[in-house]
Amino acid sequence: MTFVRLDRPEEEVADASVAPPGRPKGRLRRRPLGGPRWVGWAFVLPGLIGLAVFIVIPQVASLILGFSDSTLLGGTRFTGGENFARLLRDPQFINSVIVTSIFVLVYVPANIAISMAMAMWLKTRIAGRNWIRVIFLIPALSPMVANAAVFRLLFQQDGVVNQALAAIGLEPIPWLSDGNWALAVVIGVSVWQSFGYNMIVLGAGLDSISPDVIAASRIDGAGPIRRFVSITLPLVSPALFFTTVLTVIGAWQTFAQAYVITGGGPGNSTMTIMLYLYQTAFTNNQLGYASAIATVLFVIIAIFTLFQLWGQRKWVHYD
Amino acid sequence: MKAQWKFTRSRKRAGVSVVVVGVLALGLAACSGGGSETSGLDGDTLKMYTWIGGKADKKQWADYVAGGVHADPEMKVSFTGPPIGDYYTKLPTVMRSSSAPCLVTFQNGRVNQYVEGLEPLDDLAKENNLDLSAYSSAMLEQLSVDGKLYSIPFNTGPTVVLYNKQMFKDAGVAEPTNDWTTDDFIAAAKATTKDGVYGFAIPQASNPIATLMAADGHPWADEDGPLLDDPNFKDALQLLVDLSNKYKVAKPLEAAAGGTFPDIDAFNTGQAAMEMQGLWDLQHAQESLGKDNVGIAVIPSKNGASKGFIGGSGFGITKTCGDKQKAFEAIEAMTSKSGLEFVTKSQASVPARLDALDAWSENAGSPEFATVIEQMTGDATPSPVPANQAELDTLLTQYEVDAFSGKSTVDEVLQQVKAGLAQ
Repeated sequence: MTFVRLDRPEEEVADASVAPPGRPKGRLRRRPLGGPRWVGWAFVLPGLIGLAVFIVIPQVASLILGFSDSTLLGGTRFTGGENFARLLRDPQFINSVIVTSIFVLVYVPANIAISMAMAMWLKTRIAGRNWIRVIFLIPALSPMVANAAVFRLLFQQDGVVNQALAAIGLEPIPWLSDGNWALAVVIGVSVWQSFGYNMIVLGAGLDSISPDVIAASRIDGAGPIRRFVSITLPLVSPALFFTTVLTVIGAWQTFAQAYVITGGGPGNSTMTIMLYLYQTAFTNNQLGYASAIATVLFVIIAIFTLFQLWGQRKWVHYD
Repeated sequence: MKAQWKFTRSRKRAGVSVVVVGVLALGLAACSGGGSETSGLDGDTLKMYTWIGGKADKKQWADYVAGGVHADPEMKVSFTGPPIGDYYTKLPTVMRSSSAPCLVTFQNGRVNQYVEGLEPLDDLAKENNLDLSAYSSAMLEQLSVDGKLYSIPFNTGPTVVLYNKQMFKDAGVAEPTNDWTTDDFIAAAKATTKDGVYGFAIPQASNPIATLMAADGHPWADEDGPLLDDPNFKDALQLLVDLSNKYKVAKPLEAAAGGTFPDIDAFNTGQAAMEMQGLWDLQHAQESLGKDNVGIAVIPSKNGASKGFIGGSGFGITKTCGDKQKAFEAIEAMTSKSGLEFVTKSQASVPARLDALDAWSENAGSPEFATVIEQMTGDATPSPVPANQAELDTLLTQYEVDAFSGKSTVDEVLQQVKAGLAQ
């Protein structure tokens, strides 16, 4: 079958219709799909303006402010790379990088593993699986601040969780008084809140796997583990890659959970980079230094994302 | 053809540059704040930015505006704002925005961090013949920075002990007297601790420390910042920790976000018999526990001769306000004798004008309340507000939890806070 483009002049269409399929002329390939060029720009412009106003300009402004001692109400004096040098010897910032790294290392695998397990479970023909999907998605749809506020009440010293532990004869746990437990609560709430979204995306990826492929693997004698490793995982890898990239980016930017549940404490055990940035800017009134932190965070996220994009060639299968 | 193409490209580049510069300029203009005659006004109505956490706050500001209108029928003020927990975070951004208000408010004398965006009021006070001696001198001192006055006080909120009378009665404990000591306080807290209810609810951050130090006549800060190396600072924090860990009369502090008040929640819901708070919480407590069920007492001291810790509130004018004279006239009206007397009919907060105290005693307080207020305001320990108080409170809230959990000593906590402030 030969496809022709209806937007070309007749002679071009006629010309193209006799050209061998799969070998369109170079000149034709470069032509816009239709109408004058400004039409394309008109479609793209609203998005570009939004990108410029809300992303590019603030990002550039933040980068510039990072080289100053700007405050929220005062003037701006450029100080060169002083803020960035200060970051290297700021124990609070170094601590926030360590805390956020621990968060990323625990939260991302836990989130992906639970999302994948739930998506696999919901792929089976259990009754009401669409309703179950909606129920698990609800936390992702509700505001993190509201979720965190509720969890704060649940995990406080005389909260519901410790009361439940006492009811079965267990000692109360210092969820919000001990640094390790507090970080565990922040990670747990984060996973609970966000796995529903990844579950839906991975579920869609699983649903797109042809039943014939699975059936063929069964006929070939592949067991459940073999099927999962050699068939399911490669075929769902694009969705897995997408969810992993977004989850890693979100993990580095964690803020609301720590802000609402622990305020970064006890001590600085739950002080994430974003929370430290916020405190530096709005509590300590050091906008310039906070902008330097934002720039470093941007670089960290960019490195991780580029690394993932580079690494996808080795494990993501688009065919 | 080639030349035309080049020309087109350069024109495009110029066009893109103009658009980028234009958008940048717009962005900067939006952030730079206004300065026109109408800045901070909505028609002839002055805009005020303040803390509004719920119906009670909304009613409070409506009452102050009504008091101002009572004193000056021409006055027009509208108000908006977030809850107190977010107020000081958002304030600088709002003051710098194109929709900056004319009037802003400050609690506990916290003007220090915001003076770059505030109009000094000394000249306006002179031009308008405002008699500043009518206001609490401790409050005026607290609202001044480097000798310049940035805010006119409307209430003076000495920190006091609020107690649940019924719980004291049930425990068979005599109500506090104005010469009670720290030992008396601990004994009362022990007696009222029972059945899952604590005798005392510990507040977070620096205010309880400053209050306990002030009660014994020790200032908690000077112009350089909080006196973290002062042994009295350590003693005050140690007492708070001991109330939980040694005497078991208070719930230990846990990690919490700034701007939350678990101690107030505990007292107002009957989970604690006493709290240590500014008088601004009196009305809320009375509404929750019953008007006659809430008593106030002086802060306990080691020798029974307690001194007060003042932490009231005031109105300020932003530098960008388009009509500063009109804004000052509004402040003058809202803090006038007749204005504040009008407010005492519906609000329990203590007026900052000494000549309105009688009306407060008659309308909102009682003779017993008046005695406490007199002692706490009459002989108050000067209490400067350091520029880094917000930072200090954040660090104390984070690190003091470790002293309550036993992970760190009080000394270690103070060293960690000191190290954090040095950053």
